[in-house]
Amino acid sequence: MRRTSRAPAARVSMMALIAPLVVVLLAACAKKEEEVYATPDYPTWQRTTDIVLDYPIPGHMDRLRIPRMNAIGFSVVPTIDGAKLHWDFPEGTVIVKEVYATTKPAPGEAPVQLTIMVKDPTDQRSQGGWLWLTKDLPNGKETVFTGNFCVTCHANANEPYPYNDKNPNSEFRDYVYFVPKEAAARVQSGGSAKTTSTSEADEYGTKY
Amino acid sequence: MKKRRAFTLSLTLKVDLIIIIALAVGVGAALGALASSLVSTYNRKTEQGVFENANILYTAIESVMLPGQAPLAVTTLTNVSIRTPGTKITLYRRDGTLAFSDNKTIQTVNANLKQEKFQLQDRPAVGPLSPPPRFAEAAATPPSELFFRDDAAGRDFFRAYRPLINLPKCTVCHGSDHTVRGVIDIRSDITSDVSTTRLILAGTGGGFVLVVGLLALVIGSFLRRVVLDPVQSIGTLCSAVADGHFEGRVEPRSNDEIGLLARRVNTMVEGLYERFELTKYVSAGTIGALRAGQEPQRVGRTLLFTDIRGFTSYTERRGAEQVVDVLNRVLDRQAQVIQDHGGDIDKFVGDEIVAVFAGEDGARRACRSALAIVRLCAEQAEEFDGLRVGLGIAEGSVIHGMVGSSRRADFTVIGDPVNTASRLCSLAKGGQILVSQEARESVDAAFSFAGPFAAKLKGKAEPQKVWFLQAEVGEPAGKGDDSGEGADGAGEGE
Repeated sequence: MRRTSRAPAARVSMMALIAPLVVVLLAACAKKEEEVYATPDYPTWQRTTDIVLDYPIPGHMDRLRIPRMNAIGFSVVPTIDGAKLHWDFPEGTVIVKEVYATTKPAPGEAPVQLTIMVKDPTDQRSQGGWLWLTKDLPNGKETVFTGNFCVTCHANANEPYPYNDKNPNSEFRDYVYFVPKEAAARVQSGGSAKTTSTSEADEYGTKY
Repeated sequence: MKKRRAFTLSLTLKVDLIIIIALAVGVGAALGALASSLVSTYNRKTEQGVFENANILYTAIESVMLPGQAPLAVTTLTNVSIRTPGTKITLYRRDGTLAFSDNKTIQTVNANLKQEKFQLQDRPAVGPLSPPPRFAEAAATPPSELFFRDDAAGRDFFRAYRPLINLPKCTVCHGSDHTVRGVIDIRSDITSDVSTTRLILAGTGGGFVLVVGLLALVIGSFLRRVVLDPVQSIGTLCSAVADGHFEGRVEPRSNDEIGLLARRVNTMVEGLYERFELTKYVSAGTIGALRAGQEPQRVGRTLLFTDIRGFTSYTERRGAEQVVDVLNRVLDRQAQVIQDHGGDIDKFVGDEIVAVFAGEDGARRACRSALAIVRLCAEQAEEFDGLRVGLGIAEGSVIHGMVGSSRRADFTVIGDPVNTASRLCSLAKGGQILVSQEARESVDAAFSFAGPFAAKLKGKAEPQKVWFLQAEVGEPAGKGDDSGEGADGAGEGE
């Protein structure tokens, strides 16, 4: 009788011990829901340049590209390093580049590819502080690109290159070819706020 | 014997198997993990070296090509190949042709720059070469860096493909119509490294097998000598004892548990031998009673008494030695006959034998024994020196139990049939078999009898019906004095 009366209590105690373990185990085994960076509202993000990017470049060839960046990216404040600007986009910056099938897509035509840059230096998969992703448009799945093709090509943004303003001063532009020209007005030096002259900012801006 | 051998081999194999498994699982796993780790580290370091070389070469080639010094890249590749004979570096264009093998690139660059910046070189025509393996993967868009093992002409290689990307800064000279400029193929000969690795693995594996084998041999031999052989000797001794051979002993080789066991087995065998010898002096009924328990029981039995006639006067006429010799001979032959018919010698009392027959056909077997003894005495008259026996058979309920004192006792039978058989034996003359009425009824018509006759037996108030056993039905009558005369005549009953 004594055993019979104690058995339910023992079972309850055992269940109390096992249940959390099962929960922890299931939680560990559960597939982590992957974060989506090119959120549905990305088409509303501001374009990084007004230039029509329909000229051929390696990697995308002669396909129209439209890069857009989220507000975090546009809040970037470059610092000045000697005579050069130094760009370091804040964590959370997301740049989505729409790639179309041709140089002149029809109105309303959807892009064929999205390539994404996400500033997240803490992620072990990041290269140059950025995650480089491609989005499979049919199923919406975003995949981190593990090769160094993207970062190798974008590293050219940190030195003189043949497009746009050609970056003649070899500014470090944080792997971004089109840095927001209005951000140049917020340039900082040595950690204290310093505004460059309007003429300097304008001159910089006119290079686009 | 065959069974014992199989047992020994099986046990030895089991011990060896346990040792091998223990070593393989324990030491083997650790050794395997260590060897695997070493080989893995060795391979990784080799790969890392080749990979770093690939990166350095890539950077060098990129650096010399950007300022328009592509020919320097050719010199670099050639010098590296010369100074490191195990390494071969090849630069392929994206279409799989050898770079710098013709003036095609110079012409393209000059066209893009719209000037004759580079002079055409005198380069002998090179026949078309098939692209190296997996080249298409490396030159695809997006390109892939590849690092893989390759073998050709019996040699092993690490092979690294580093695609040269047509970076924006390269497009000025090379145009923007392609993504991959070419592929650097760095092929490092690792044949000797592979041989070293194989040697390490073979040495480790061989050494391990050797060590395991030796240990199994040593431990197996040790166990066989210390445990298995003594146990086998003990088993052999036990088998011999079971077969009735008590001469053997186990030689204790040590003072450990096995040695102690051997000594105890020897002591046990000595004790068994003594008890075995004692059984010669004890009836089978006594032994059976000891096995079944020492409580007295009332059972139905047939009693057969034999007694040599005229033995007292015989002893006076013969020497003691001859008397004992003839007596033992007569008793021994009678005992043999009784045992052959399933009787149990309860005791020898001087020249008298008391035998007990159990079972439903006990009376029948007792009668046959009696007839056989009479025949024996007639046939062996010379050997028995003319001695003859008288026999008495009675049947009935007796008490079977321990009779005697606490120091010395016998398991024997007591009761009226015992007394009756004894009296009948005393009455019987040499060669006569007197049978009680109860025994006669038991054997029914299986034997022929003469009688009945009235006999006055000691201890009985009334005369008893007795019969002279003559022969078994179907058998010729014996030569004994079975005529039935003188049933009331007294035998010599000593």
